Amino acid sequence: MERTRSNEDWKTCFAQLGPALLLFARRWANCRADAEDIVQEAFVRFWRHQHSIEDRALLYTTVRSTALDRLRSEQRRSRREAAAARDGAEHFEPQFTTVDEGQQVLAAAVERLPDEQREVVILKIWNELTFAEIAGILEISQNTAASRYRYALGALRKTLQPHE
Amino acid sequence: MNDFSELEAELKQLRPVPVRDELFARIERLLLQPDAAPTAGVLPRPSRHGLWWSIGLGLSGATALVLLGLGFFAKPQTEPTVTQNPTPPAASLTSGFRPATLSQVVYRQRDEGLVFSPNQSERLLRRVRYDTRETMQWRNPQTGASLRVSYPAEQVVLTPVSFQ
Repeated sequence: MERTRSNEDWKTCFAQLGPALLLFARRWANCRADAEDIVQEAFVRFWRHQHSIEDRALLYTTVRSTALDRLRSEQRRSRREAAAARDGAEHFEPQFTTVDEGQQVLAAAVERLPDEQREVVILKIWNELTFAEIAGILEISQNTAASRYRYALGALRKTLQPHE
Repeated sequence: MNDFSELEAELKQLRPVPVRDELFARIERLLLQPDAAPTAGVLPRPSRHGLWWSIGLGLSGATALVLLGLGFFAKPQTEPTVTQNPTPPAASLTSGFRPATLSQVVYRQRDEGLVFSPNQSERLLRRVRYDTRETMQWRNPQTGASLRVSYPAEQVVLTPVSFQ
């Protein structure tokens, strides 16, 4: 009975978190389909054992772990394929639905951030995680998470200044 | 006082691209399947059999090398003119090699993050992979000859992790 309830609840939870999860998984994917595969695998694993999204940090840890496992197996399979995947990252579809030119500029600036800064921004802004949770997920110190966030916002502000 | 608050508010206005219905359908299909096949068709789960298989192959290869090496060094001792060894041939056939040193050098340690336990999949484990080189050396005190066998090995250590 709990299973029946949770099977219905997952849609609500996934509708809420899915877009941000895809955003987060993009770092390890070379296209949207790959990011979806990562999120699908991680969410199914997570939901089967948690049945709620109370522990969102664990969900993101699962996404990261799944993505790294996938990347490793791909690298083992073929270094060439991995290189192609990195090249393909340049052609990723847009990450945000934008309503005006200002948002388009901002979205483009976010996408140009270095990976390690962008993932902190994604976890902080669109998932509202604390620096402690982000540090746990990314296996870095809390100070590193906070400083990457500050660098990222500083870089974004610098990029946007001429448009303000 | 957070001087990035305005930029943070602008970032929060950006909406990540929504999840496609197809992904919902795929997750629903997987969640309806029994737990026994949580990752079917998506990602290979980390296989410990492969690890043991490679360790076994490595060890058996090393053993074969040791035996070949012992045979190689044992042969000249049966030839008194070469070794000038007064010991009788029967004694020299035992080769006279004695274990001298055994070393294990860890030259790379990779923290591969968190993974689900393959047996109790609700348990989270931290996986650390060690690349090592194991070296064994035998010395024949009578002839001064030594035999050294060195081979690479890989060890994976899984440590249970708990979140608070």
